[in-house]
Amino acid sequence: MIRRTIFTIAVVALLALAAVVVVDLLRPAPPLALAQQAAQLESELRCPDCQGLSVAESHTTSAAAIRDEVARQLQAGQTPDQVRAFFVARYGEWILLEPSSPWFWIPIGVIVLGAAGFVAWLRAGRARSTPIPAATDTVDADAARQRIRDEVEALDA
Amino acid sequence: MLGTGGHVAIVVGLATSVFAAFAFVAGGRRRDPTLLASARRAMYLTFALAAVASAVMITALLTHDFSILYVARNNATTTPPFFSVISLWAALEGSILFWTLLLTGYAALVLYRYRDRHAALMPWAGATLALIAIFFFAVMIWPGNPFIRTTPVGTEGAGPNALLQNHPFMGLHPPLLYLGYTGMAVPFAFGMAALITRRTDEEWLAIVRRWTIVPWIFLTLGITAGAWWSYEVLGWGGYWAWDPVENAALLPWLTATAFIHSSMVAERRGALKIWSSALILATFVLTIVGTFLTRSGVVASVHSFTQSAIGPWFLAAVILSLGGGLTLLVWRLPDLGDRERPAATVSRESAFLFNNVLFLGITFAVLFGTLLPLIVELFNGGTISVGAPWFNRVNAPIFLALVFLMGVGPALPWGGASWGSIQERFGIPILSGIAAVVVALAAGLRDPAPVATIGLAVFVAVIMGDELVRGTRSRQRSRQEAAPLALVRLATRNRRRYGGYAVHAGILVMAVAIAISATQGSQASATLAPGGSLSVRGYTLTYTDLTTAPLADDPRVVETRASISYTGPQSGTLATALRDYPNSDTLIATPAVRSSLGEDLYVTLIGYDAGSQQATIRVFVNPGVVWIWLGGGIVGLGALFAIWPDRRRAMATVPAEEPAAAPSAPVEA
Amino acid sequence: MANGSVWLRLRWLIVPVVLVPVVAVLFIGFGRDPSVIPSPLIGKPMPPFELATLDGASLRSEDLAGKPLVVNFWASWCPPCAEEHPVLLDLAQRYGDQVTIVGILYNDDAEGAARFLTRYGDGGWVDLLDPTGTTAVDFGVTGPPETFFVDASGVVRGKQIGPVTSDLVAAQLAAMGVQVAAQ
Repeated sequence: MIRRTIFTIAVVALLALAAVVVVDLLRPAPPLALAQQAAQLESELRCPDCQGLSVAESHTTSAAAIRDEVARQLQAGQTPDQVRAFFVARYGEWILLEPSSPWFWIPIGVIVLGAAGFVAWLRAGRARSTPIPAATDTVDADAARQRIRDEVEALDA
Repeated sequence: MLGTGGHVAIVVGLATSVFAAFAFVAGGRRRDPTLLASARRAMYLTFALAAVASAVMITALLTHDFSILYVARNNATTTPPFFSVISLWAALEGSILFWTLLLTGYAALVLYRYRDRHAALMPWAGATLALIAIFFFAVMIWPGNPFIRTTPVGTEGAGPNALLQNHPFMGLHPPLLYLGYTGMAVPFAFGMAALITRRTDEEWLAIVRRWTIVPWIFLTLGITAGAWWSYEVLGWGGYWAWDPVENAALLPWLTATAFIHSSMVAERRGALKIWSSALILATFVLTIVGTFLTRSGVVASVHSFTQSAIGPWFLAAVILSLGGGLTLLVWRLPDLGDRERPAATVSRESAFLFNNVLFLGITFAVLFGTLLPLIVELFNGGTISVGAPWFNRVNAPIFLALVFLMGVGPALPWGGASWGSIQERFGIPILSGIAAVVVALAAGLRDPAPVATIGLAVFVAVIMGDELVRGTRSRQRSRQEAAPLALVRLATRNRRRYGGYAVHAGILVMAVAIAISATQGSQASATLAPGGSLSVRGYTLTYTDLTTAPLADDPRVVETRASISYTGPQSGTLATALRDYPNSDTLIATPAVRSSLGEDLYVTLIGYDAGSQQATIRVFVNPGVVWIWLGGGIVGLGALFAIWPDRRRAMATVPAEEPAAAPSAPVEA
Repeated sequence: MANGSVWLRLRWLIVPVVLVPVVAVLFIGFGRDPSVIPSPLIGKPMPPFELATLDGASLRSEDLAGKPLVVNFWASWCPPCAEEHPVLLDLAQRYGDQVTIVGILYNDDAEGAARFLTRYGDGGWVDLLDPTGTTAVDFGVTGPPETFFVDASGVVRGKQIGPVTSDLVAAQLAAMGVQVAAQ
């Protein structure tokens, strides 16, 4: 039927899109201009006397001083990693708004485990209890239900 | 004089709620309707007393009665009436009073509404609500007394916190949020009642779901209003920073939303009682945590919490609610197990339950990110920051997965989907989503987040649209109604389903608006002399002059305004200012926001030099922000529609009456 | 739940297993002051600097070696700096022979500094200008007032964010071997 053909086309298109995305991700990123590197670093460095804002977002004097220093360092040829290390050496790890990688994975890990456990729980239940007969043709079933509902209401009226 | 009256009202309120608690328990055990009636009346009286105490405080604020310490600290003779009234929730003591007012209000409403129904549950729900009221009245008598006197009485007060009197939204956000928080006590009370009486069947679930959605609406609107306030007032151009206070408000919303979805599965299958109870308990405990964290209303003062008088009481509240609820749940655990697994692997049930996994995942991530710095510091000496970039990176993909489920879940049938039905339903939506992605990429959008969001939003919208069209057509055929009438009748006959669709539509609008505004904004800043201009994204702003003058309605505040004219997609003039409040060390920025459906022009004055008349301004062009607030409104209206009582259905169901004096099995304590 | 009675008994463990960590985290987490941030500079040599004094002369950090040093970052527009100024004046008077005090202006200029000193008193120690803010960043300063305690060999021994008190100063100096009179 036509809808099933459309579905097949849709899946193919989805796979094609996924392939394009993967290829694009694998391509080495073009080097960022200095201004963009600065903007990126400014969004990663924490404003020392604000509540959790980055130096890009804050307009306090300490944020301005850090932005100036970032610009100066990048102009002098430092890499973004070196600039980050510079600030960490002076302020501590705390100056980076995003903690270094290992912590990042814990919530993701928990969610993946939760999802896997959930699927396992569903399947285990299926094995134990009598399987519920799956609806074969839901389009008609929904319309049928609606018809029944309407007819029942018509009886009330 | 006035203050004494308020204090007396609170003391009497403690007494009446203690009486109510005893009367509910005794009346419940003895099945005595007279005792229960007097318990209810005691709770109505408790609400009246809370109202009296609140009225006293508001009067004291309006009349600038500095004999009361709270008024002396949060009010001044120059404070305008509107801000005097909203100072009720300016600081801890007033906030607790306001919380108590709303809690007893909910309690009175629920007890009145169900006075002739659910005879087994009501005594215990009433007792739980009374116990919560007792706790908060006790807080208002001991550590957080709002009516403490000052001697000697000053002639002037400190005035409200600068950030609180900067914007009228301070009159909107806390009440909405608190209506959300306090409302969560109701499902908690019914949850406890169901566990105590072992009546964990559909009756309990239907009540609890309705009474979770009502505060959920307020919580959604309250959080949205908070983001809007933050955007309009704080001047950093954003609306959500994953701040501990913001996170504390979001956590109960996440668990409540999870519950609303899993309860639909629980209702259908008569299952998931443990899970439902656990979510209700978690939601209430999180609202307690959130209430105490946001006590100051504006800034997260997590500083030296246990050294303040309120700290131990807060801890006690958490221990009592979490410990009590958990003990009850564990005690009844043997009765609550599921006989069968409620879902096939691919079905509406599993989609709804999987969304719970994701919502709880976000809850865990937010808790993790908020608490991690504290834990690291304990073990390490040094500390780390977990800021917005981390939260966005972790939560954005999960939210996108939730958007995907929003489309898939309602489209799958209950009980299980066959491969054929999946092919029928999802072909066109997937293609539409891909087409939207292609269009977005062709239009120049390169950021993965907004592109993915747009694709998923179109996918979900097409599924919902398909459902609407099919339902309307089927109704047209069977009833010979014109399409618009058929649609309206369809929606009003299936409020829950179509209200749900409206809520999801609102979420889609917010999701796309957030994705675009967060990634496609531009900003620039410059120091300008009068006449100088600055260009950002199609706008040209020209700075004209600087004026310094006291505020018209509060002369203690001196405001320096920079007047700016602008041209571009919007044109006109605006003034952005820095205000010097007497009780604040730093100048408070008052940004100017010019909103249109397309984008916001947002201008902040960062600094100025009175001598040279130079002004440093910062300009943001934020696309699509207005749609976030509109989307939030759609969500609220959709949820309201979903729970709006259907008169036809109400006539059809007979309330489950239980003869009050029936000699049935003895109630187990 | 149709499982054995062992599970039935063990289920009560859920209560303490959940409750204890939650309470512990709240108790500990909210008991500390988030504005006290330990400095990575402690135990390391002081960052070198070369800055101009208010009169225009130049001062290098190397010139200050040999005696314990108190480096105070301040500004004329900062109210807590005015609050702590008497403590510093007292410090100069009592221990001026044993300890060198140096002030570094944070985002401020000579006129502002002069106004402040006229109003609150000039203790006689050198004040330096840091127009680019580089030195403040080198020290990891988050905002004025911030004070660093450096020992005679040039190693940073302590840092105070916010105004200093006499007790705090006395404790820090004693830790560096300065003879501290009984308060």
